[in-house]
Amino acid sequence: MRLKIIRVIIIALFVGVTLHLFYAQVIRGKYYHRLSAYNRIRVVPLDGWRGSIKDRNGVILADNKLSYDLSVTPQDINDVEPLFDFLENVLDIPSRELKLKYQQNREAPFAPVVLAEGISREKAIVIEENEYKFPALWVQKTFRRYYPLGSNSAHVLGYVDRVNEETIDNFQGYGYSPRSLVGYLGIEEYYDRELRGEEGGLQIEVNNRGKQVRLLSIKDPSKGKDIELTIDSDIQNISRETLGGRQGAIVMLDIDSGEILSMASSPDYDPNIFVDPALKKGKVDILRDVRGPMVNRSVRGAYAPGSVFKVPMAFAGLDLKKIATYTTFNCPGFYQVGETQFGCSHVHGVQDLFNAIAHSCNVYFFNLGKLLGSEAIAYYGRMFGIGRLTGVDLPYERPGYISDKKGHVTAGKNWFLGDTLNMSIGQGDTLATPLQIARMLATVERDGVEVQPHIIKSINGVVVTKYNFTRTLKLNKSIFDDIKKGLRMTVSEPTGTGYDLYMPDLYVAGKTGTAQTVRGREPHAWFAGYALGKERKVAFCIFLEFGGGSENACIIGRQLLTRMREQGKI
Amino acid sequence: MNKNVTIRIWVFSILIMLFGLVGLYSATFNNTRVPQKIFYDQMMFTLIAVLIMWALSNIDYRKFFDFAYVVYGANVLMLFLVLLTGRNALGATRWFEIAGFSFQPSEFMKLSLILVLGRYYSSRSSNYMFGFYGRIHYIFQFIVVPFLLTVVPMLLIFKQPDLGTAILLFGIFLAIMFVNGIPYRFMFSFLGICVLAMPVMWMLMKDYQKSRLLVFLNPNIDPLGSGYTIIQSKIAVGSGQLFGKGWFAGTQNQLNFLPERHTDFIFSVIGEEWGFLGGIFLITCFFVLVHAGLSIADKVTDKFGVNVTVGIAAILALQVVINIGMVMGMFPIVGITLPLVSYGRTSFLTTAIMLGFLLNLSRKRSFQ
Repeated sequence: MRLKIIRVIIIALFVGVTLHLFYAQVIRGKYYHRLSAYNRIRVVPLDGWRGSIKDRNGVILADNKLSYDLSVTPQDINDVEPLFDFLENVLDIPSRELKLKYQQNREAPFAPVVLAEGISREKAIVIEENEYKFPALWVQKTFRRYYPLGSNSAHVLGYVDRVNEETIDNFQGYGYSPRSLVGYLGIEEYYDRELRGEEGGLQIEVNNRGKQVRLLSIKDPSKGKDIELTIDSDIQNISRETLGGRQGAIVMLDIDSGEILSMASSPDYDPNIFVDPALKKGKVDILRDVRGPMVNRSVRGAYAPGSVFKVPMAFAGLDLKKIATYTTFNCPGFYQVGETQFGCSHVHGVQDLFNAIAHSCNVYFFNLGKLLGSEAIAYYGRMFGIGRLTGVDLPYERPGYISDKKGHVTAGKNWFLGDTLNMSIGQGDTLATPLQIARMLATVERDGVEVQPHIIKSINGVVVTKYNFTRTLKLNKSIFDDIKKGLRMTVSEPTGTGYDLYMPDLYVAGKTGTAQTVRGREPHAWFAGYALGKERKVAFCIFLEFGGGSENACIIGRQLLTRMREQGKI
Repeated sequence: MNKNVTIRIWVFSILIMLFGLVGLYSATFNNTRVPQKIFYDQMMFTLIAVLIMWALSNIDYRKFFDFAYVVYGANVLMLFLVLLTGRNALGATRWFEIAGFSFQPSEFMKLSLILVLGRYYSSRSSNYMFGFYGRIHYIFQFIVVPFLLTVVPMLLIFKQPDLGTAILLFGIFLAIMFVNGIPYRFMFSFLGICVLAMPVMWMLMKDYQKSRLLVFLNPNIDPLGSGYTIIQSKIAVGSGQLFGKGWFAGTQNQLNFLPERHTDFIFSVIGEEWGFLGGIFLITCFFVLVHAGLSIADKVTDKFGVNVTVGIAAILALQVVINIGMVMGMFPIVGITLPLVSYGRTSFLTTAIMLGFLLNLSRKRSFQ
């Protein structure tokens, strides 16, 4: 009897298991079959090969290189100690550190843990040779951006990084996936869509480690377009070295074409820290630096132009016929308004326009400013590009700022004569970027033909002509001749403020500037000018943030031009 | 009829072993994680198992009646030793090295317990005694003492920790107690007490055992950890559908998604590659074997023989049902092998010895 019951129970158990097997395999079979397919088929995105960036002479500024990452798959670790001892020997990292990293990053038994990124080719080969001994090891090959010249053109180039969570929304619909590499800042950002290759993909069959077993299908990624810049990396290098780490910027552009030859900003950074895991640690210091190494001061920094602003002032005076070149004002060293004295650098005595430009006499321009009035000054300032975007092909350009009485009154603020006087010598609210100033000098040299500054030369070998347009200012040619005479005297006259830049065999002209900054800090130093060499004509702007007097900028300018001449660049 | 049963046992156990080798060959095929050596190992043990079955079928099973307590005592001692030496080594060690061969006393304990309970119950009169003291005496003799015999190795195995084998020992005890005609009211009260003791068991469980039980209830609470095995195994079995994906074509198997697939989870390989038809073939083979055991028990006249046969039939049935059930996600993962199919020397040999007993019992009936 009891045996029969046992038999019944056993039959029931077997029937139960069989029914469940039927349910799992026959009724739900399709569902599980699909899951098993999901398990083994992966689509591995292949990064498009990002286009390279070269300078005008074909020197590579940004390219891709093969990089090796080392991963360990937890469930395939046979013996912990020998594995980590082996890795310690190969990678030169203490096994304790590796173990810690392993423990911190371990997610699941089958998910590979990345232990070292960007290891050398030699090490990668050694590890791959030992994979048979340590099946948990896996060397993954990826392409990584790198910048052979390091800091040379950091601000112009920008860098690449994975799309971050905040910006992914902006990119959707343009074929970006969350793991895409995207350009940040500089050319990498501005021409991202050209540089970026189209992502391809592999459909592969994987095993439990996610390791490829066989290839099912492939869609080749496409290569992005190569970009050639107008930058000359040699001039760029000279600019960088003459700046010597001082806070500031040097911009130089070709007067005839508007091509930017050099755009240095300091302090700078090595863009490789964003792409090379070995240099990752430097990132924090750069991002925390209060001096703002990431800022491209040439286009993103707007500063009081100081006496450089006297150039548009002079144009306003002559064009509106408030003065003639022979009009003189006496400079006693100050200008009295009520009880306030507006100072001048020296007691210049009687000055005509040429001398006033060459000596940078404030009193002359105070007088002129009073004759012109703030609206006229602002009008001519804007005419020469201050407060207006240059339209250069770099992201985050700032327009600078120029204001007048009307603007102030509209904004509910008072305007005094003192404001007009401050404005006349480029102080007060007026702000300009070094690029704007350089462009202004280029326009002066070309007698009012305003070029479009740009940094792109060709894309995939096709010359970009988009920026080859000019705009002509409606001013008399004779006015330009007069002002250019004053600018030349600044450099050529021994009493001129820019005499440091005088070179017998190179025509240099320009205007200095010393802009007062906040109380207790050194003034900004400016020199903006043009040099007409045998090789090319260039306009340039040297700006030193809190750099002291303009003579500091002049010294740098002289070094810059001298070294360029030595290297046959001008 | 006798001959018939003997042949049935031979045919179906060999069928199962061959089918197991077919599955294991695929599980170890071209693979670094589970080396092919395992397959050849198992092949050798299949031959040894057949020899053991043949040898035991010619040795009178009643000889083991005399050795029952000795075997049991030695086995319990070994469990102790494993626990002690296991402490010295890392984590849970269930193995024992004897002359270079690893030996798992917990697997063998199933057989030892069948023998000892078989002998214990067969040498007790089952006459019901009246009166309060009589009842107490009865309970003590027929429930408490055999329970103690069971619970000592059970706790030792549970400590290893090996929940599955411990459960199987309890199953053996229940089956043999049941077949010896213990009144239902005693059995059910005993089971009631066991249920009440469950919270205590929970407290004794290791964390990973608790988490396995919890994951069994909802595998998705930990899909990457404890739940990974069960999810992958369910997918493997289910994706086999009616006809299976074919030999060597199981993607879950060949691509390494199945952990422990050469031992406890071998059925997931078979289910994936041979489908419902393959699965039902294997289950039927096992059922025939178990059924043969029960029909022997029907005919055997000595109580020791009945107890041993029922114990063997019950343990085979339980192992098959629990193993296949856990692979399909019906039960929690408790670490029970599929007899004659899973890789594992001690498990394999223990099953062979049990089948040897059955073969011998099916012969002996002619003398009765």
